[in-house]
Amino acid sequence: MSGPVGKATPYIDGVQKATGQAMYTDDFRYPNMLYVGLLRSSYAHAKIKNIDIKAVEADPAVAAVAIGKDIPVSFGVLPISPDENAMAVDKVRYVGEIVAAVAAESIEAAQKAVQGIKVKYEPIREFLNPADSLETCAPDEQIHDHTKNGKNIHKTAELRFNDPEKEFESADFVRKEKFKFAGVTHAFTEPHSTIAIWNGDETLTVISATQVPHYLHKNLSKVLGLPIHKIQVKKPTLGGGFGGKSDPFAHEMITAYLSMKTKRPVKCTFSREEVFITNHGRHPTDIDMTVSCDKKGNITALDTDVIIDGGAYGSFGVVTSYYNGVLLQGPYKIDKFGFRTRRTYTNKPQCGAMRGHGAVNPRYAVEIVLDMLAHDLKIDPCDLRMKNFLPENTLTVGQLRITSNGVKECLETVRKKSDWDERYNKLPYGHGRGVACGFFISGSALPIIWNRYPQTVVHAKLDFDGRIVMFSGASDIGQGSDTMLVQIAAEELGIPMDFVQVEAADTKTTPVDLGSYSSRVTFMVGNAAKMAVEKVRKEMAKAIAKEKGIAIDSIKFNDGKIFTKDETLDLSWVEGVEIAMAGRGAFVESGFYISPKLGGDFKGSGAGLSPAYSFGAFISEVVVDPETGEVNVEKIWAAHDCGKALNPLAVEGQIEGSIHMGLGQALSEDMRYVKGQIMNANFFDYRIPYSVDTPEMDVTIIESNDGEGPYGAKEAGEGPIHPVLPSIGNAIFDAVGVRMCELPITPDKIFTKIKELK
Amino acid sequence: MGNYYHPSSIKEALRLAANNSGNYMYFSGGTDLQIYRKQGLENSETIIDLNAIEATERILVKNASLQMSAFTFLEEISLSKDIQLHFPLLAQAAKSVATPVIRKTATIGGNILVNNRCTFYNQSKEWRQAVGSCMRDVGDICQVTGGKNKCYSRNVSDTAPALIALNASVVVHNQEGEEEIPLKDLYSPDGIIFHQHLDKDAILKKINIPEKPKTWWFKKLRLRKTLDFTSLTLAAVVDNKDIVRICINGMSMSPILIEESFHSLSIENLLKQARKNCKTVDNDLMPMKYRKEMMNVFLKQWWSTVYSN
Repeated sequence: MSGPVGKATPYIDGVQKATGQAMYTDDFRYPNMLYVGLLRSSYAHAKIKNIDIKAVEADPAVAAVAIGKDIPVSFGVLPISPDENAMAVDKVRYVGEIVAAVAAESIEAAQKAVQGIKVKYEPIREFLNPADSLETCAPDEQIHDHTKNGKNIHKTAELRFNDPEKEFESADFVRKEKFKFAGVTHAFTEPHSTIAIWNGDETLTVISATQVPHYLHKNLSKVLGLPIHKIQVKKPTLGGGFGGKSDPFAHEMITAYLSMKTKRPVKCTFSREEVFITNHGRHPTDIDMTVSCDKKGNITALDTDVIIDGGAYGSFGVVTSYYNGVLLQGPYKIDKFGFRTRRTYTNKPQCGAMRGHGAVNPRYAVEIVLDMLAHDLKIDPCDLRMKNFLPENTLTVGQLRITSNGVKECLETVRKKSDWDERYNKLPYGHGRGVACGFFISGSALPIIWNRYPQTVVHAKLDFDGRIVMFSGASDIGQGSDTMLVQIAAEELGIPMDFVQVEAADTKTTPVDLGSYSSRVTFMVGNAAKMAVEKVRKEMAKAIAKEKGIAIDSIKFNDGKIFTKDETLDLSWVEGVEIAMAGRGAFVESGFYISPKLGGDFKGSGAGLSPAYSFGAFISEVVVDPETGEVNVEKIWAAHDCGKALNPLAVEGQIEGSIHMGLGQALSEDMRYVKGQIMNANFFDYRIPYSVDTPEMDVTIIESNDGEGPYGAKEAGEGPIHPVLPSIGNAIFDAVGVRMCELPITPDKIFTKIKELK
Repeated sequence: MGNYYHPSSIKEALRLAANNSGNYMYFSGGTDLQIYRKQGLENSETIIDLNAIEATERILVKNASLQMSAFTFLEEISLSKDIQLHFPLLAQAAKSVATPVIRKTATIGGNILVNNRCTFYNQSKEWRQAVGSCMRDVGDICQVTGGKNKCYSRNVSDTAPALIALNASVVVHNQEGEEEIPLKDLYSPDGIIFHQHLDKDAILKKINIPEKPKTWWFKKLRLRKTLDFTSLTLAAVVDNKDIVRICINGMSMSPILIEESFHSLSIENLLKQARKNCKTVDNDLMPMKYRKEMMNVFLKQWWSTVYSN
């Protein structure tokens, strides 16, 4: 490759963001714009007896008022559980659920006005922890009518192959351990924000901070009863998502409705507290994990029972339920394998998808249990893992198709770079090393909403100015997908990156992409973009070959020139463009990506299917103060197999970001609730590690060159978070001899365990 | 709409205070006040910004004593070579507050007078209403203990325990003029009215430390290495007359001072006094039980440092 692919490339929007010029949703202003104020429930579970909006309707600053009954059509990101409403209709299911909304002339007027709405509630029994939700209750106590057997269980996902439980009865070594994980949230910088504009031609434009314009587009149509061709969803610059902006949201429906009602532009931007209340973060989780192995350290079976606390609504919960189990099929070969996940509804803000979706907590559990088994067998934990890795080009027991696999190289790399063999189990008391591996999908092979279309389409347009414009529905949420599009076009056409521009994430002008979730964009959109610009190149070569009377195959595109090796052809890019466009003008070529048919034919076989998987291995070094239980992560060595780093700068950033985010969940972040209310709904009390808490990072990119990825690329945005947490947990054991099975691992928990040990 | 004043002298600030009959708030660094206003915990219509008041002698170290303006920024204190040399305890305490950016605008006076905190009180208005307001707000019970008699909000100043251990006094200016009082007397063991000898209109003007101690010790318990308010701060000195002054904060409604002769103090007695005087409840994100255990750990660590020498 002679172009920018594979070279460290600063993001094309980096300067705009750093100088404050980038336009985020809240930066947009429109004439006569109204502002939304939201009234939220102060009850966790209650029937709505009456809503009195009379006083507010009379307020001259208020242009419109809306309540649940105005837009009662349910929605949700998964078509199998559309259990949400824009505003509570007959009852509220968590403290902070939206009950009513106003559109007013100013933010202050809107916030003041909603306080004038009077709601009468009749409290119902609250379900604040999953254990209660697993029990049978009275029909009118159920959080949702549709749950079965009088229980508040949203979904039970269960798969079992080759009777793992039987293996445990006779296995040489078996370890069973209980784990508990607090909920954590995405903590993106930009709060949720939406602007809706009812246009003169009776169409609706929605500008929103969303990872997935396409699903928002479809759900807006459903809820508002507006034909889908009359809705345009645009995602401007976005300040972080991590999964937290991938659902269609209630405030987006409300803002759009109020714009339709008032025929004026309407804006809604959340406070930080509202962002926390909206949550959709990682589920609080209880895991029973059992793993067995033989005397040589070969893993013989794994079974796990998982309970996840879903909160009041479904979100991605059905997928999360499966991911908690199916993504334990790698990176180790386990033929006797099973899991059951039960997702409960509770009267708390809903949980959903978050970086490393569904697999972070069970990964922690299994990597800790493997460490325990290594100790039982007196085998080095790296050696135990090395023995058990899946090979390349294989199928797992549940028929996940593994293609490229660089996990061995990952582990060998961090082991060598960290001088593991000389350090592990040899450091003084209080100092420790831990290892863990990771495995994640590189894009979900199945769409959320079944259809016959490709998963993504990219258009590449060439015009007289020599500019290539890449049209893609993909959402750059800070991960650099716009930059990737430019890199690929520049690479394929041999032109400088400044000849390429991007139009992205606008459902009116860009072809459909399913969105920025499940680490799918580089793999799927990258392939589609490559196909589109390859076609442009071919079209140009065809025209030039015809005009110059030379063979198409002899024409090269490189370094801003179009030439043949023997120099009979030597054109500048712009000269080549002129020839290509003669007699036809500007043209557009399309590329697309369709995932190959994958998976078995059993129920649940679709979960976890991906055209490729990423792998990783991390080693952490910690210092624990045995007198206080305080832990300091000193250094993390990370190796991640992303297939091929199209932009090594971006991949390193993703790995470093994953370390920071994983560190937070491991040691300090915790959605703390009291009486169903989040107690730390701000960046002061929700304790994200600061720069001074963040360890030194040694990052290595492993390139296994996947046969189906664009230039060999796989994902790097989510996979690297998985090994972070358990490598820290295992290092704490090496340091002070205590097994930390409850996250976050705060000093009080370590202190108590050390005391118990003594 | 409210009023925002920028007086250029303490006299003018006091006059503005008198004119606004209680419905005002002084603003110095403002790093805490802005959050209180956003959460609806502070709703005064008038803000009197004290930043235009010229402070003389921001930091003056003379004959091993210190005079310092209450308007001195925490960053100036932590970076002052004089303070680092003669009163490293104070430099370290100042450096332990908040983050570098906040320390550029937060003042020592503000940190000395920082409002007491509680996980059930320092919340938004909607949050407090939904959970049921507490007695410090508009309710009548303590949400932490369920009791009706006492509010246990915590004093969370990090510089106050350091200054109290250093035997500091403060100069307070009110309508009657200036008054110098020992800093330890400024605090009252009450979660609602946590300051005494301090009229609402009084302005904290100066801080004086009489002498450089013989030895010092400081430690702060928090989850992250920056930003967090204290879960437990312990500052200790042995002065030139061999008096031990240990001040514990973050555990009770006011800083807890233990003052004893170096020669007669025993560790058992020290732990007992600390246990007895700290009215600790579960109103911090770190569990109460752990904070109490850490108080013992910190005291023992101080003890072994000082008495092993």
